[in-house]
Amino acid sequence: MKLRRKSRLVPTLMIAPYLFFMFFCGIFPIYYGFLEVRNPSWINMEGGYETFLKILDDFRVGPALVNILFLLAIFVPLMIVTVLAISLLLDSVDFKYNNGTRLLFLLPGLLPTAVAVLFWSAVVGYDVVWDHSNIRWLIGAISFSTGIGSWIVIQYGSLRSISHEVLEAGIVDGCNRFQLAWRLKLPMIGRYVAYMIILLIVGAMQIFNEPNLLMYTNMTTDWSPSQIAFSYAFKNADFAGGVALSLIMLIPNVILALLFVWNTDFMKKSKGRWK
Amino acid sequence: MEIGAQRRNSRLIKLTLGIATFWASIPFLWLLRDIGRMIFAPIIFYDNGVFFTWLKNTSIFVFSAMGISVISCITAGFVMAVLDVPFRRVLLFFTLLTMLIPITAMAMPLYVMIDRIGLNNNLLGLILASSYFPFGAFLSYLYYSSVLPPDLVGMGRIDGLGDLGIYRHLGIPLSKSLISVVSFFSFVGLWNSYQLPRVLLAEPSKSIMSIGIEVFYGQGTTLIALMMVIPSVLLYLASQRTIARGIFSGAVKE
Repeated sequence: MKLRRKSRLVPTLMIAPYLFFMFFCGIFPIYYGFLEVRNPSWINMEGGYETFLKILDDFRVGPALVNILFLLAIFVPLMIVTVLAISLLLDSVDFKYNNGTRLLFLLPGLLPTAVAVLFWSAVVGYDVVWDHSNIRWLIGAISFSTGIGSWIVIQYGSLRSISHEVLEAGIVDGCNRFQLAWRLKLPMIGRYVAYMIILLIVGAMQIFNEPNLLMYTNMTTDWSPSQIAFSYAFKNADFAGGVALSLIMLIPNVILALLFVWNTDFMKKSKGRWK
Repeated sequence: MEIGAQRRNSRLIKLTLGIATFWASIPFLWLLRDIGRMIFAPIIFYDNGVFFTWLKNTSIFVFSAMGISVISCITAGFVMAVLDVPFRRVLLFFTLLTMLIPITAMAMPLYVMIDRIGLNNNLLGLILASSYFPFGAFLSYLYYSSVLPPDLVGMGRIDGLGDLGIYRHLGIPLSKSLISVVSFFSFVGLWNSYQLPRVLLAEPSKSIMSIGIEVFYGQGTTLIALMMVIPSVLLYLASQRTIARGIFSGAVKE
């Protein structure tokens, strides 16, 4: 035990750069954000924290939230099911083209969104893009095709790392492939699935790139809350309003993140390690 | 009977996968179809070759931010997993928490802060804002927790290694596959980042590729798609084996 009673200076110095970025990108901006919101702005001439409430009266916020709900209701579940189905299928058989298949799914995700949007506009045809009723589906489809690949790669990786003994025990007990996947594999990678689900939900809530790049159609200028925050700041030079909306959108995100941290055993595992 | 059913199932799964593979390959086939129509000229000569400025800016941005984030994350993961650092659990908690909050969610507050410290429209501001990569730190933490059991570290201590010595003689030699995975995810995130550079780099001459290419809408799409995707694919192929073996393997194997 005496061996460990050393100065903690060296480990602290080693982790210092990471800590700097944690504060710089994670904590200070929120502090600055709260300072900024107090400033007078177009929606709240007197300034102060009422800006948080007044921003929600903006007529564009409601429709933007409906768009987000649309993605959450249709495309997020579809992505979750597709990712899990494909990774479980890939994991369950000796598929000759396994590596190639994963790369093909990953490929659209490796494209920058700007290119992906162009690309899908060309694939579905510009007359489809210019049709008002399709725009939600197009945005959903683009985020679907660019989003699933990296998750398939990650979930396939976590499936591969389940130990063979567990799976063999399952087979000896008479599990067929489906039962093996449903009763053993899925529960074992449960927390990575939970991690993916939260990031997909958060990604949908914060969606910005796809609608912003489809702006040339004039239909997606204020399509998502992130875009509205952006146009407050850069079109109306109203930073207080933009930051207020961003901070409001951060709340569900933080709640989901906290739920994840408290309900998975990632933290518990670390408890006794150096006791 | 049982074996026959197994075989039938296996064929069914492979058929499903085959169909899925074909569906996934449509974008790729589309790229191939357009390959004959690729013309470099409009891209290279656009606005007196501003393309090369973007290429330079992108390289500076991606490689600096990737270098900084990979080194700081791997060291941080090692420290949290192996060494005795004050507030270790608090650090881990914040790493997990921020891992679930995309940096894009912070774009607006970050912009305000960076503007106040005078780094707006400056690559340095973008690099600083993009160098925090909690996912990488967490992966490193999981990795070192599993490959460096306390006994092994204890033996190193008995041999007279200090904290830095353990990092140099145990941590760094074991980090090869970790570096490839963390670099891959970091690179793809930075190379394709759109929202943060869009907010932080408003001037066209200071722009980077992922934003600049917007001006080529309608011309040369295929070529740009191909150019932008090649580095990521190469990096993926290089780190594929480690990723497929299970990037979370440290955590799943008990």
